[in-house]
Amino acid sequence: MPTANIPVLETRRLILRGPEPQDYPDFKATFTSYRARFMGGPLNPYEAWMLYAAEIGHWAIRGYGMWMIHDRISDATYGMAGGWKPAGWPEAELAWVIWPDAQGRGIALEAAHAVRGYFYRNGWQGMVSYLDPKNLDSIRLAERLGAIKDHAAPSVDGNDAVYRHPSPAQLDGTQLAHGIEMEIGHYTDPLFKPKGWALD
Amino acid sequence: MMSVPALETPRLLLRAPGPGDFAPLAAFYASPRSRFVGGPASADQTWRMLAGEIGHWSLRGFGRWAVQERATGATAGIVGLWYPHDWPEPEIGWDLFDGFQGRGFATEAARAARDHAYDTLGWTTAISLVADGNDASAAVAGRLGARPDGRFRHERFGEMTIYRHPGPDARKGDA
Repeated sequence: MPTANIPVLETRRLILRGPEPQDYPDFKATFTSYRARFMGGPLNPYEAWMLYAAEIGHWAIRGYGMWMIHDRISDATYGMAGGWKPAGWPEAELAWVIWPDAQGRGIALEAAHAVRGYFYRNGWQGMVSYLDPKNLDSIRLAERLGAIKDHAAPSVDGNDAVYRHPSPAQLDGTQLAHGIEMEIGHYTDPLFKPKGWALD
Repeated sequence: MMSVPALETPRLLLRAPGPGDFAPLAAFYASPRSRFVGGPASADQTWRMLAGEIGHWSLRGFGRWAVQERATGATAGIVGLWYPHDWPEPEIGWDLFDGFQGRGFATEAARAARDHAYDTLGWTTAISLVADGNDASAAVAGRLGARPDGRFRHERFGEMTIYRHPGPDARKGDA
């Protein structure tokens, strides 16, 4: 799928578009830093650029991939979220990465919820997230999204934990779905703060 | 992603790389032939390289083509214009797959890529990087009229010689 044809997703605070060349410096800053330690990093600049190119090529090969998360108003980038299935991945992954200075605002929750909903509206019946057992922020986010650790499912390399996301039916008008929407709503309302104040 | 222009030479078709090129590319990176270009690499690593080749076109507006032998339709290699981050200058690169060497395909495809760089993209100069010991690749550079012009060391690809191609006006005279 050509990048120009990547669908644009809009949420309350965010707009998700395909990765664009001008966004590379933001991507590089995170992937060459310690922040990338749970995503195969830190990478050197060559590896970071080639991974960014591969994020775009993933769309062409698979027909889906990772979106760049932008602020609706400022257009600043906050990270990426989407579907990720390079060779070696047993199943399509719901993946996310948030730039360090954008964390703690529920952006990954809002973006991941939106892309999962997009895939489910397009016929997908499930997704997983492959998470490093030490990546507590992302494990907590997977749980807030309703994912449950799947001990039986194959992982990428045996060192990661598989979190299985709820099915479309489990998110259709259920208490789980309402809870996710409510938490996202709290983040967007300056008068309220979500209980627990989870990190992501 | 931009659309990738196709180039034709007498024996070759240079076209956009795509999912169908994964198998021959993985075979190349599994073989010792890839030892001068960052290989050998696993199939999983090669998949990401192919995705990177495709994404390069979007990020730079140019990239490398899958080279198809017109007579058979077989993918003979990956040749074209390469400029990842941290590269000294935009490069003309060629990786020829096993079984297609010795027939001048790399030279023929690289010449078409260079013409595209000069005539369509407006490049005024071009280099090719040849890893130490890759004599076959150095011979291709020589046939294209490129001459050694410095050294470059890359933490993944090792020590390489920079070959400088004849410019747009000088190329007619190359060997």
